[in-house]
Amino acid sequence: MTRTIGGTSNTTPTLSEMLEVINSAELSSDASGIPVAFNFLRNFTIEGIEPFIQYHCLLSGLKPKVTFGNYDMVHQEVLDRSSHLYRSPPDIIASALYLDTYIPDGWRAGWSADKVIVSLAGLFADIAQNTDAIIAVNTFVPPFYSDFGITTVKDLSSHHNEVLRLNQLIREHVLSSPARFVLADWERFVRLVGANESMDYRFWYMSKAPFKKGFLDLYARELVKVARALKGKSKKCLILDCDNTLWGGVIGEERLQGIKLDRHTYPGNIFYEFQKSIQRLHERGVLIAICSKNNEQDVWEVLEGHPDCLLKREHLSAWRVNWSDKASNIRSLAAELNLGLDSFVFVDDSPVECGLIGEMLPEVTVLQVPEKLFTYPQLLNRDGLFDTLTLSSEDRQRSQMYRNEANRKSAQAKFETLDQYLASLSLSITVHYLKDEEVARVAQLTQKTNQFNLTTRRYSEAKIAALNSDPDWAILSLSVRDKFGESGLTGVLIAHRQGATGIVDSLLMSCRILGRNIEKAFVREAFAIMERQWRVKAWRAEFVPTQKNQQAADFWPTIGFQEIDCHDGHIVYELPLALPNLEPITYIAIEE
Amino acid sequence: MQYPEEKLKQVLSRIFNVNLDMITGDASPDTIENWDSVRHMNLVLALEEEFDFEFTDDQVVEIISYALIKIVLKEHGIEFIQ
Repeated sequence: MTRTIGGTSNTTPTLSEMLEVINSAELSSDASGIPVAFNFLRNFTIEGIEPFIQYHCLLSGLKPKVTFGNYDMVHQEVLDRSSHLYRSPPDIIASALYLDTYIPDGWRAGWSADKVIVSLAGLFADIAQNTDAIIAVNTFVPPFYSDFGITTVKDLSSHHNEVLRLNQLIREHVLSSPARFVLADWERFVRLVGANESMDYRFWYMSKAPFKKGFLDLYARELVKVARALKGKSKKCLILDCDNTLWGGVIGEERLQGIKLDRHTYPGNIFYEFQKSIQRLHERGVLIAICSKNNEQDVWEVLEGHPDCLLKREHLSAWRVNWSDKASNIRSLAAELNLGLDSFVFVDDSPVECGLIGEMLPEVTVLQVPEKLFTYPQLLNRDGLFDTLTLSSEDRQRSQMYRNEANRKSAQAKFETLDQYLASLSLSITVHYLKDEEVARVAQLTQKTNQFNLTTRRYSEAKIAALNSDPDWAILSLSVRDKFGESGLTGVLIAHRQGATGIVDSLLMSCRILGRNIEKAFVREAFAIMERQWRVKAWRAEFVPTQKNQQAADFWPTIGFQEIDCHDGHIVYELPLALPNLEPITYIAIEE
Repeated sequence: MQYPEEKLKQVLSRIFNVNLDMITGDASPDTIENWDSVRHMNLVLALEEEFDFEFTDDQVVEIISYALIKIVLKEHGIEFIQ
C-alpha cells in the first residue's frame, strides 16, 4: 500500500464511504476550502460523477459546486445568454459528449471525422468566447468490437478508424489553444481501467448513463487536477529522502558499489526509473530538495560519482543532510525557499518519518515508498500533484533562478548593512504595460502566488487578456535583473480607473524577489506610467487577508497609504497625493 | 450471507443524505424526497458494491422501497439481523 497523507489517495473508497465523507463535510460548520464550480455541458447522464468530484475536491482542500446542463442541450445552452451557464459562471466547464448521442447516425458507414470536428470546433469556440472558464473537452471511446470483422483496419473509413481520427483532431484542437482547453482523454481512461470497469451497458440502456465507477473516478480525478492547478493548489517542491528512496540500500554501510541503482537489474532499475520521473519534474520547473539523515559527503559521493544516478547536485534547489529531526529540517527548507508548507511533497521510505511529518506538518503531502516497489516509478505522476495549466518558459528556468538566489544569499553574508549588500547587486527592473506574449505567465502568477499577494484574486488567461484590452484597466508587468542573472517576469500590478481615482485591483510578486525593496520601486514606477496615461489624482488600494499573505499586510501604509475603511481584516487604503509620497529607491535602476 | 441491518440502513441514509431514523420499513420515494432517479442509480450501485452481488435487470426497477430491497436481497441470499 502506498501511504498518502494530506493530499490525494490512490485508492477510492466505496460509493457509500465517499458519500459519508461528503455528507459530513456538508454538515460541518467550518466549510473550509477554496470554492470551485464545475459545470457539465452534456448529452448523456453524467450525474453519477458528482460524488467522485466532491470526494477528490475535499481531499485537495477545495469546496466544489457541481452543476449539470440540461440533457443534450449543449449547443443551445452555449448560445442562449440567459441559460444557467451565464447566471452563475463556472470555473471549469466539462464539455461531456457521448458519440452515440452526438452523431446518432454514426453507426451507418460513411460519417466523416472532418465534418464532426467542424461542428465540435464551433461549439468549443462559442464556449471559449462566451465564458472565462477553463474548458475540458473529451475524446470519444472507440468501439470495442469491429464493425467489419477482420477487415476493419483495411477500410480506412470504418467507424473504428473514424473515431480514432476524430480523437486525434480533438487533441490537435486542444493543443492549438492551450490557454483555454484541457483534454479529458476518455480514450486513455478506458485504456487505463479497461472496458469492463468503464462501460455500464445496463445503465446506458436504462438511463443513458454509460460509465462505471472506474471511468468516472478517473474522469473526476482529471477534472480535480485542473481545479487544483487553477486554484493555486499545485505543489512546487519535491523533498526526497536518500537511502531506500533515491537508491536501494544504505550508502553509509554499503558504499557506492553496494547500493542498488542501475539501469538493468532489479531492484536498482526501479530506483533508476523513479529518478527519471524526478528529472521530468525538474524539467517542468518543480524544485527538487533533499532531506535525509546521512553524512553529507556520502550523499554527494552518490550524486556526483555514481554512473547511474540521474539526480545531480546542480538539480537541487536546497538540501538538509544531517541528523536533526526532519520536521525542523522541512520547516527550515520552507523558510529558505520562501514557500508555504503546502507547496511541498515529501517522499521517504520510513513509516516513522512519514508518520512524523504527517503529524507535525499536516500541510505537507507525504508519500511513502510503496511496499510493491514496482509501482514506485508511477508515484509522482499518478496524482498530478505538480500539474499547472500551462508550462511557461519561466517554469523551465525556475530552478536556475532559485540557484541564483542561493548565490545571492551567500553574497549577502559579506556585507555590513543590508543597503550595502543591495547596492552591490546591480538591481534593475523593467516595468511596462502587459504584452500579449506575457498573458499566460501573468495569469499563472495570479493563480499561484500566495504570500506577497495583496488581494489574492485568481484570473484565467482569458480574463487577463480581456482586462488588458479594456481602456479603463491597466496591467503592468515587472521583470527583475541583477548581477547574478534574470529573475524574469515576477510581479504584476492590475488597476482600473474610476473618474480621477486609480484603484489597485491586484498587486503580487513572486516570493523569490522579495526583501530588496523591489516592491516599492515597482509600485512607484507602475503608478508613474499609469499617471501619464490616466491623469489620476489619487490612488486607492486594498489588503484582503488570507492564511498566507500576512507578510504583505503592512505594505500599503509603508509607502504612504492611509487606511480609510476596515472590516474583517479587509482594509481599504487611499493615497491622496499621487507620486511625490514615494521616494525613489536609489540602488534600483529603472530600465526602459 | 448475514449482515447487521444497521449496515443496510446506513447505505440508504448516506445515498439519500438523510438521518438513519428516516430509514424505516416503509421508506420509499414517497417518504424520502431525495430518492430521485439519479440517486436510485447510486443506490443500486452502492448496494451491489457493499453486499457483493448483482441485481437482475428487473430488480433494478423493482426495489422502490426499503421493504422491497430486503425482499430482493434475500433472493440473492443476503439477510439482515437486528
